[in-house]
Amino acid sequence: MDFAFSSDQQLLKNSARAFLDEHCKPATVRSLWDDPRGESEGLWKEMAQLGWLGLSLPEVHGGSGLGMVETAILMEELGRAAYPGPYLPTILAATGIGEAGTDAQKRRWLPAIATGDARATIAFLDADFDWSPGAVRTRAERTPQGWALTGDKRYVPWAHVANVLLIPAVAPEGLTVFLVEPSARGLGLSPVAGMDLATRWVHVRLDQVPVASDTVLGTVGAGAALLGGLLRRGAVGAAAEMLGAARRCLDMSVAYAKVREQFGQPIGSFQAIRHKCAEMLLEVENSHSATYYAAWALDAAAEDQELAASVAKAYVGDAARKVCGESIQVHGGIGFTWEYDLHLYFKRAKALEPMYGDGDYHRELIVRTIAGS
Amino acid sequence: MDLTYAPEDLAFREATRKWFATNTPTQDLKTLDERKAWHRTLYEAGYVGMLWPKEYGGRSATPMQQAIVSDEMARVNAPPTINGLGIGFIGPTIIIHGTEWQKQRYLKKILTAEEIWCQLYSEPNAGSDLAGLKTRAEDQGDHFVVNGQKIWTSSGPIADWGILLCRTDSKVPKHKGISCILLNMRQPGVEVRPLKQITGSSLFSEVFMTNARAERVDLIGKLGQGWEIAQTTLGFERGGNSLGRVTRYASAFNQLVKATKELRRHGKPLIEDAAVRAKMGRIYADLEVQRYAALRVLSALQKGDAPGAGSSITKLSYTEFEKRYYELALEILGPEGQLLAPQNEFDEIDTSSGEPGTWAHAFLWSRAGTIYSGSSEIQKNVIGERVLGLPKEIRADRVKG
Repeated sequence: MDFAFSSDQQLLKNSARAFLDEHCKPATVRSLWDDPRGESEGLWKEMAQLGWLGLSLPEVHGGSGLGMVETAILMEELGRAAYPGPYLPTILAATGIGEAGTDAQKRRWLPAIATGDARATIAFLDADFDWSPGAVRTRAERTPQGWALTGDKRYVPWAHVANVLLIPAVAPEGLTVFLVEPSARGLGLSPVAGMDLATRWVHVRLDQVPVASDTVLGTVGAGAALLGGLLRRGAVGAAAEMLGAARRCLDMSVAYAKVREQFGQPIGSFQAIRHKCAEMLLEVENSHSATYYAAWALDAAAEDQELAASVAKAYVGDAARKVCGESIQVHGGIGFTWEYDLHLYFKRAKALEPMYGDGDYHRELIVRTIAGS
Repeated sequence: MDLTYAPEDLAFREATRKWFATNTPTQDLKTLDERKAWHRTLYEAGYVGMLWPKEYGGRSATPMQQAIVSDEMARVNAPPTINGLGIGFIGPTIIIHGTEWQKQRYLKKILTAEEIWCQLYSEPNAGSDLAGLKTRAEDQGDHFVVNGQKIWTSSGPIADWGILLCRTDSKVPKHKGISCILLNMRQPGVEVRPLKQITGSSLFSEVFMTNARAERVDLIGKLGQGWEIAQTTLGFERGGNSLGRVTRYASAFNQLVKATKELRRHGKPLIEDAAVRAKMGRIYADLEVQRYAALRVLSALQKGDAPGAGSSITKLSYTEFEKRYYELALEILGPEGQLLAPQNEFDEIDTSSGEPGTWAHAFLWSRAGTIYSGSSEIQKNVIGERVLGLPKEIRADRVKG
């Protein structure tokens, strides 16, 4: 048993930190706030060259075949940098294609994703905001040419830059996932802005969108398991990203508390501040344990993998909100200014809290598992 | 990162599970003699003092093996060993700082619980500020004469020996004038009075020392080295018991699940109430995180990484968790949570205090954890200063010193 990162994993973490410190500075994040796409093509291509986009993809399709632990390591660093871009939705969609796709679907999308030529996303949420795969209301009806999709997808991450969207819809046989390109007839995209200007969501309206039979991902009617698995990976990825944001806030708070003086002393010498920082560290360390336990459990297909993913998302969501919020309190007035960078991470953690299942959703899943109903 | 158990650990767990399945007493152990006999059985099976070096009667076991034993004992609710402080930290203190004579004289009898030990540290006016302690030991050459009062002494009434922190020099700064001496509790100058806690029982005592005698040969380390010695041995035990502790929380949680299926409100079982479910989910997520954190600490110990000040994070984490846990459990249980005598099978739980009891006992007992062995506030000071490197506060006693 070893809870510590292997030397390769540590190397990945260090190189990701070094790269993002250099290429994804707070100024980089700020420069993309007003950009209609909201992400940097150059950064995306460099991430592809570093092998990040193919990290978890099979080697035959240009990937490295690594697991969720490595993905979580990258996600934590991306959260720490408040990285703006479709990394998590793209790799989740790619994982889905890799797991359930036909050879043709894999050849079409996976190498393009690994090289940074394509981006992808998944539309988990319908208009009634229920994360359960069983709650999808979007309909898939058979047509002579294949299928027609109709429904309202909400808060789809980065759909405006995606080359392909995974759209879950209910067919007569049951939940089915379709690969839909944004140019499809009857598909409308409406970007929505949240408080984190470096995270983009899009409402996707589907009005009798015609798709061919070969766009079905996996088996018709068997989409719930596929979607559930991707939601779990998304939950753990988001937990890692929130962890990264929280650790950044903690580090900034501790550094500030050492130099900021009031009453003739560094504020970190006051127990009121020191104890807050200690509580923040506790939450960050527990979040680390929760995130990486869950990532490992997914990789190992452990008995408790579903439970662990829900625990991680529920716990880290609460913890990151607390830690990032308290970091503003430790800083005082300057932490509330637009110029100071704390709010980049505070808002990132908050933006991820309701996504991939919020705390209430995952706590309900936990109770179903332990109480058996 | 790989959280699978090594084959030898799995084999060890299986052997341990078998042993406890065969040997765990089916009846509650009522008397001290019964508990000593059970302890002796555990000792002979090699399950006591597992981390102690073989040369002193231990097993030189790995932290993982110790954790597995504590976990398996929790699984079957086996009665605990006695002499926990002796085995957990007083023996190791003697191993690290003691003389050869002290090792020969005391260690074996600590392990076998032939002699029971207690800790004489806290005083009525020296709690968090332990270094402000006032109990005096006057140097008489071959012995010391001890006068003073200690409090929060566990196992006081049954203890044969105590590890005492006392002032041997009042002219030097307070941390420098403290010595660590082993004190025979079975003498006329030592009086033990049980201290009744908010739980109604008396797990602790007050100890009054009036011209009590401690031998020179029982001085640990040098005169004035007591504070330093106490610092190295605080937190010895955290880690090895962590898995077992979480297993005890989890077995209590299973009782809570049963309770919510049997107790009814508004004509339906509690477990069907959304507000109850939200609380249950919150406790269990928190509980699982304690388990993951325990595995993380254990894996570090197993690699030989000393937890150091990091053990303050562990202690802060689980003691604060316990309070949240039992607060939410009592909210869920309503009036049933108030009972001190069980009315239903699910009212009886492992309270984490070492004593059986009800949810109410566990709730009351959870207030102790964030005070004993360094309060949460002291742990946060340690974390702030030694883990995060925040500046020390300017304290009146440091300025004077």
